[in-house]
Formats: sequence, structure tokens, C-alpha cells
Amino acid sequence: MKARRRKLLLRIGAAVLLVCVLLAVAVGFWVAHLDRLVTQQFAGRLWSVPARVYAAPLELYAGAPVSAGDLEEELRRLHYRPGDPAAGAGFYRRKGNAFELHARRARFSDEEREGMLVSISADDSTITALKQPNGAELAVFRLDPPVIGSVFPIHGEDRLVLMPAEVPPLLRAGIKLIEDRRFDEHHGVDPRGIMRALWANLRARRVVQGGSTLTQQLVKNYFLTDEQSVGRKLTEAVMALRLEAHVSKDDILVAYLNEVYLGQDGSRAIHGFGLGSEYYFGKPLAELDVGELAMLIGLVKGPSYYDPRKHPERMLARRNLVLQQLGDAHLIDAAAAARAAAMPLGLRAPGGSYVPAYLDLVRRNLKRDYREADLAAAGLAVYTSLDPRAQGAAERALLKNLQRLDAASKVKNDHLEGAVIVTEPNSGDVIAVVGGREVGADGFNRALDARRPIGSLVKPAVYLTALESGRYTAASVIEDAPIELKLPDGSVWAPENFEHQVYGPVPLARALAESMNLATVKLGLELTLPKVADTLQKLGLERAPALNPSMLLGTVEMTPLEVVQVYTSLANGGFRARLRTVRAVLDDQGKPLKSFKVQVEEAAPPAAVYQLDQMLTLVITHGTAREAAGRLPHTVAAGKTGTSSDTKDSWFAGFTGSYLAVAWVGYDDNRATGLTGAAGALPVWVDTLASLKSSSFQPVAPETVEDVWIDFNNGLQTTPACSSDAVVVSVPRGTVLPIKPDCKLSPSDKTPPSGTLADKIRAWFKSLVH
Amino acid sequence: MHSKCAMNGGFRNLEPTLAAAALLTATLLLSGCPASLRTNPDEAAPGNPAPSSQAPPTVSASSPILPPPPPQPAPPPPRENHLSPATRALVTQAHTLIAHGDLDGASSTLDRALRIEPNNPLMWVELGRLRLEESNAHQAEVCGRKALALASGDRATQAQAGRLLADALRAQQRNQEAVEVERQPFMR
Repeated sequence: MKARRRKLLLRIGAAVLLVCVLLAVAVGFWVAHLDRLVTQQFAGRLWSVPARVYAAPLELYAGAPVSAGDLEEELRRLHYRPGDPAAGAGFYRRKGNAFELHARRARFSDEEREGMLVSISADDSTITALKQPNGAELAVFRLDPPVIGSVFPIHGEDRLVLMPAEVPPLLRAGIKLIEDRRFDEHHGVDPRGIMRALWANLRARRVVQGGSTLTQQLVKNYFLTDEQSVGRKLTEAVMALRLEAHVSKDDILVAYLNEVYLGQDGSRAIHGFGLGSEYYFGKPLAELDVGELAMLIGLVKGPSYYDPRKHPERMLARRNLVLQQLGDAHLIDAAAAARAAAMPLGLRAPGGSYVPAYLDLVRRNLKRDYREADLAAAGLAVYTSLDPRAQGAAERALLKNLQRLDAASKVKNDHLEGAVIVTEPNSGDVIAVVGGREVGADGFNRALDARRPIGSLVKPAVYLTALESGRYTAASVIEDAPIELKLPDGSVWAPENFEHQVYGPVPLARALAESMNLATVKLGLELTLPKVADTLQKLGLERAPALNPSMLLGTVEMTPLEVVQVYTSLANGGFRARLRTVRAVLDDQGKPLKSFKVQVEEAAPPAAVYQLDQMLTLVITHGTAREAAGRLPHTVAAGKTGTSSDTKDSWFAGFTGSYLAVAWVGYDDNRATGLTGAAGALPVWVDTLASLKSSSFQPVAPETVEDVWIDFNNGLQTTPACSSDAVVVSVPRGTVLPIKPDCKLSPSDKTPPSGTLADKIRAWFKSLVH
Repeated sequence: MHSKCAMNGGFRNLEPTLAAAALLTATLLLSGCPASLRTNPDEAAPGNPAPSSQAPPTVSASSPILPPPPPQPAPPPPRENHLSPATRALVTQAHTLIAHGDLDGASSTLDRALRIEPNNPLMWVELGRLRLEESNAHQAEVCGRKALALASGDRATQAQAGRLLADALRAQQRNQEAVEVERQPFMR
């Protein structure tokens, strides 16, 4: 009996023990699982530094087209402040047109430069001299490369990761003071803090305090959702404890400073103090003053509630509270706290810093060579061709014109869209990309992805084919007359000119300048479609266009980026430069991993392209883009308008001596806009180039061609005195053109520029007569 | 007749006297010629529409004396290309880097210089020389051709570009083409 009871007790005991052991094992496994999660992921995360992307640095040298005003603007953009340059990096002093600058330490794609003093003189258009402090001339000097963002894997989450050495001591102390006073003592969870928070919340009968440590907040952000439950709290606590067991306090603190959410910029989430500093104040964390640092620390509590742009009064009060606590804790002296509290927030002007469309192109280019994981984690530095001034100019030009065109549109509440790309055609450097009117937002990138019919932008390929054939010159006369073509499917194609007019015989130069459809179709059919398609592909189109006759009027569809590639060959004298956004990639030690060199190929004979380009200048002086001529004073430019059928797409592609730009305007849903290329895209193009300093398009004439005056209406050789419509075209040297019949030459005109040829003709003629 | 009308391409390499003779003949015969240089219909590919046959504006040949050609835009003066002090400093730096075997560094440095003077043929000669060092003869060749195009009117620079081009062609075992480049007048 006794034995049976003992047996039963034993069994119960054993069962309880078993349950306990099983439970302990389960808990053990769970903790071990969380432990593994924490160590593996945290280790990965701790050293995962996303690729930082830099714009091209501004090069300064005697003669650089940078005025004193431009220079100061650029220094401000780079967040240099007026002050004593001797006091440290980041300060400059301007006296008239003379600048003393203490440049910051900067890493370029090819060298690391220490901070240095430099004197710069400028006048109202150019840099005039550069000197070192010892008075020695400096041939060339570049400003810091501006950071334009980072390549992050998780959509929308952006940050500039700080290294431990980059964290100011006041930030370390301040964040602990405000967010977790016992951070240095606890082991990841702070029971005293929890009790205090519980007591405070009970007294107030609502949640006024959180008992979470920085470690718990970090764990929550890293691994967990926002769900509020006992289970989640428990998991968080265990993970925080495990994290503290493996990782040093300072690594946790720095990870927290990099992780913490600090605000929202459209679809981009601002994470970490590094990016927070750039985003709110536009300067590196190291240069923040006490008040600015206090604002960021205060912002952690509620980035939307205290959003300094939406609720500056809330933020100001919060910042001043933080300042007071910093003063009370003797982290700063009370007088400094009071002074800082009297200052405004000092936010930088919003916008203009984030360039999602350009970063999109960078990301796509890098994906060819790098794995997504390396871009997100390997700490790469990516040096790009972006020119922030060109980017700003293109963004402003597009927005301003779209707003104007929308306002003038009969259809209300309709939003035109657009895209602009600017390049330097010799090197192929892409210096600006605008993918739509919401320039600061990630979204449909029209510059890269909107594939639309290019309309008359295709015509230069037709005329280039004609010039290349050797059978035509700019002065050759072709017939602009009605055409009816029976297509293979039995239908009849009868293209018309835009104004439904017929122009009769016209020289090539005029047919192109005025974008005549009938003359172009006739010319293209004579040359044959495969030849024109071949030209288009040699110029840079990477697909074979469909060989329909309507191809000659631009039914071929291209993205703005593809148009840029084709026109690069025209702007570059017949050489096709491969488009380049990324110049170099460096690893986290600053060692070059890969450089993308200028790469040029032969696309078309330089002499033929030269003749074509002269014709394209007539588009602007005498043709469909005449309106642009007055708005780019003293600058020769060449280009072409494009309008797709029913005005669904408005295009302009053109170049000066410095830049090639392509602009597109249209509706996303492909409706008619009522805008020609000249009415829609051209003003965007003009405004973009007008605000950039651009040299004239003055290519070097090949020795095999010569310039002649022809009458724009009939192609006869003439002089400005003989024809009101005399234009200069280039023709192969020795081309004989018929001379305008009533062209009476004054005696002074009778000596041609070089007398030798005329002398020879006269001598030869005499020999014939005698 | 048609050959006279369609010989614009063929004029380029004629000796001056011959060109003058052809010029005169062509002009005297112009009354029957289309207004400007036209396609010979025989040359058009079969099945293609023939060039327009509408009578173009013609020139009266009433005067037996050849009217002097109208004064034309002045031909470009002979040019001389130089590197600016800024680009020269960078090119010198690139040479030093090449001498130390740092071709990537030199490439980045020449890139900077090219951004300052993208249209200077001497920059393209420098870039082409570096491409040869990098054993990229094809890119060196294209740089040479681009330099040659930009050097039009500048004998000294043309000669430099021509030497680069010839070297790049030889590096690709295209010796015959290299010899042809070296026979160009600017190489003498």
C-alpha cells in the first residue's frame, strides 16, 4: 500500500520533472534561437554599410566658368559657413571677389585629400586664380564631392552610416541622457526603468513613459514588428539581454544612432543621425552646433509629432527642453544652452538634395557588376557624373514649364508629365536625370522607362544617311509632294505635313529645319529603309527598328535615355560615347574596385555629321525651334523638335558646345497633349540650358568640307546681300552649286576669300579663249 | 552630264587645277543640270522611287564670262591647339602615375582633364596613349581618330594624332592601314 503510494508519488514527481525539463529545454531552445538570430543578424547588420553615392566634384581652375557668386553658392551648397578659415575646416571668408577657404578632408575616386587652406579669386564670370597659403599657384583644385544618397536594398529606407569615430561625444552622452539614463549600467533590460515607467503610467492613467532601453528599441527596430503584446515584449527583453551579452555597449549605441528613424521625405524614410543631419541641416554631423544636435536628439521621441517642417513650434519647445536637460546634466554649460535655445531651428531649405531618378540609373548600372547584397552592405563608395547644378536646372525647368502648360491647358486637373536628361557628349557623362514632375519621389522613372514614339527626332538619321551616301548635300533640292504608298497589308499610307501644306521643291537644309514630312519620306524611301535603320543603329539605338515607311516619321519608340544615346553621336562629331553615370567604385578601405572609363566608338563619318549638325543649327535659327534662338542669346545650338502623331508626345533633343539635353513632355496615359515639340519640350530644354553656362556649338570643320551661303528657300548659292533668307551650310569641298540668278556682286565682293582658285579659273579660261 | 552633276563626292581629292577646270565645266553646263547635286537615277537601287524629275530653278548662262563665286563665309584660320595650364598640370600628373605603373590613377586624372577640355584633340591623344599602355588598342584607335577629327587645321596636332592612330593600328596587326595613315600629308 505504502509502496504503491510511493510509486504514484514518484510517478507524479517524474512527470512534473519531465514537464519542467521539457519546458526548460524549450525555453533553452527558444533563447538559443533568439541568441542565434541576434548574433547572426546583428553581426551582419553591424558591418553592413550601404554604398554611398557621390556627385561629381566641382573643378576649379583659372578660367573655369564659375563666377564669384557661383562659387559662394556652391560653398553654401556644400555647407561651408562664413567665418575664420583658420578656425577649422568648413569655414570660408569672402572679401569682394577673393575667397579664403578651409576645405574639408575629402575622398575622391582617385585620391584622399587632407583638409587644406586655399585662396580663390574670381570675377563675375570665371575663376581667375588659385593659390596655396604659401602663395604658390595651384593649377587645379576640386571642392568636396557632394553625397547624393546611398544604394539601399530595402525600398525607401535611406541612411548614411556613421562609423564610431564619427559620433560626437555630446551625441553619445545626450542620447543616453534623454532616452536611457541607465544605459551604461543595465544589461539590456532596466527593471528600475520599467518600474518607474509603470508607476508614472499608473499615476497618469495613460502611457506617458516607456521603460524600454536603447538596446530594446534597437532590437525592436531590427527584428520585431510594432505589435504590442506581452509575448513580443518578452521576446524583445530576451533578445536585448542576449545582444548585450555578445556586443559591446558602444557598438550597440552606434548601431542605435544609425538605425533610429528620424523622419519621412516622401517615400524615403530618413534613418540614422548621419542622414538626419544631412536631411534637416544639410551638413555633416561633425559640424552641427549644440542646438542642432539637441533638435535631432529631441526628434527621436516622435519624428512625425515633432516634424520640424510641419510643426516647428512643437519641435522648438522639445529642442529647448533637451537643451535644458543637457545643461542641467552639465553636458553643456547653462549659458550655452540658453544661447542655443534662443536660436531658430536653422533648417536648410527643403528639396533639391535627393535625386531618385539619377540614383535609379546608378543602381541599374551597378547591378550589372555588383550583387545587390554588396551594394547594400559592402561599404562601397560610388563616384558618379551627376552635376548638382545641372540637375537643379533641369528639375526647375521641367516643373516650371509643366505648371505653366497645365495652367494653359483647357482640360483642368490634368497633369502633364515630363522627363529631362542632360549629358556631356564627349565623355558620355550623364550629368542630370529628371524622371517626372515629382522630382523628390521614387516612382515611374520616365527618363529611363517611358518608351514613346520619337516623331521627327528620327529625321536627322534620314538626312545623315543622305549626306553619307555622297549623293546629297544640305543644298540639294528634294520634292515635298503628296505621297501615297500601298503597304503590304493592302492599306494605303498617305502621310501629311504637320500644317497639311505641301512645300514643293526645297533644299535638304530647309526640309529638315522645318521638319517637312513629305520631303523626308521621299528622301528616306530613295535611300531605302534598311539604310536609314542602319544609321539609327550605328548612332546608338540598340534595337533594330521595324522597317515600315512610317519609321521615317518616327513611329519607332524610344526612351529619353535611348534618344540621348543616339544624339550623343551627333553632338560628338560622329563618335558614340558610351553613356556613363558611374565613374568609379571604391571599397570600404578606399581601394579602387572598378573604374568606368570613357569609351568611344565610331558611329558615322565625321564630315557627314559635321554637315548634318550645321543643318541642325538651322532648326533653331530658321526652323521649328526658332523660339529658342532668342532665349539662348550668344549661344549657337543645334537640335531637333519631335512630335508624335496626335501630339501625344512632345520632344526636343539638342546640344550646345557643352551639353546635350533631351526633354520629353506628355501624359502618362498617352492622351493627346495638343503640344508640338516646340511648344512642350523645347521650353523645358531652353530653360535647362539657359541656366547652365554653356559654350556655343562650334565644331572643328573637317578639311573636306567648306561653308557656303545658300538661299534657304531654293538652295541656290547666294550672299546675305542677295537673299534675305541666306543661311550658311556646309558642303563637301569643291561642291558646285548653282548661283542665284539675280545675285549681283559688288566689286568688293568679287575677290573670294582666297584668290588662288579664282586666279586659276581666269587663267584657264583665257587659255580656252585664245 | 549626270556624272558632272553627281560628282560632289569625287571632288574632294582632286588637284586644285583639275578642280578649277571641273568647276568651270560644271558651271557652264549647269543650265541642264538640276539645281544642286542630284542622284544619278541609274545609281538608285532597283525598285526605289527615282529622284524628283520636276524642273528645279536653273541658272541663266547668258554671260560667257564665269561669274565669280559669291563671297563665302571665311574659311577657318589655321589653328594651334594647346593644353590649358589646368589640363597640363593634370596631364603631367598622369604621366607621373603612368611612370609608377598606376594606370588606373592616370586614367582618373586624365578623366578630370578631359572634363575641363573635352574638345581639345591633345587630350584625346593623351587618352589614346594611355589606352595603348593599357593594351586597349581598339580604344586607342578610336581616340586617335577622334583626335584627328578635332585637330583639323592644326598640322602639328594632326601629326601627333596620326602617330597615335598608326601605333594603335600596328598594335592590332593592321600594318597596311598604319602605313596609309603615315602617308597622309600632315605626317610629313
